[in-house]
Amino acid sequence: MKSLAIVVREDGYDKLLTPLAFAYLQGAEGTQVDLLFVNWAVKALTEEGAKGQVIQGSHADQDGWVRQQVEKAGLPPDIYDVIQALKSTGNVNFYACSLAASIFGVNEDNLVPEASGIVGASWFLNEKASQAEHCQYF
Amino acid sequence: MSDIKADSKLDTSGKCCPMPIVDLNMAMKKINSGEVLEVIATDPGTLTDIPSWCQRTGHTLMESEQGDGVMQFYVKKS
Repeated sequence: MKSLAIVVREDGYDKLLTPLAFAYLQGAEGTQVDLLFVNWAVKALTEEGAKGQVIQGSHADQDGWVRQQVEKAGLPPDIYDVIQALKSTGNVNFYACSLAASIFGVNEDNLVPEASGIVGASWFLNEKASQAEHCQYF
Repeated sequence: MSDIKADSKLDTSGKCCPMPIVDLNMAMKKINSGEVLEVIATDPGTLTDIPSWCQRTGHTLMESEQGDGVMQFYVKKS
């Protein structure tokens, strides 16, 4: 695969793990990976938001256990550390949706340096998603 | 026990997807063309992931073995 575009909508520690793990796999292999964070998930592109990700709902009481399992599997247990690891592959780009950024309080000042910027959804869909060999929505 | 002599070894024991493949990509960058990397894994996903990875990347899976929950792969760099 040469390119992969991923749209991440769901936030929460466990819900972010799968798209990030897929991006890590492909980024490590040399695939160009572009992720757009929309809705609540955009907050994961701030350091405070990434560190604040927890498991919600009926599995909330298993947050600590899941983090231990994640660490055992070899991934950093903190979402921001995972984002940094993905960035270090040199093949993964993180984008914040401008609408989501506006609604959920993400701006150039609190966006993590690993993110490539706040972009319009139209640009991402036309320049990244439609050009990518494969596209996923989480 | 394989007769293949590996030039280097990557032990991913205990790690699960995506880490064995992430680590394999990194390890392969560190060895030279023609050299063999021995990969130890305990994630059953590697049984499908590593042969498929070799096919995609053009490296040669010379041999694989498994027993007692441990998988061994010998990958020659193209």
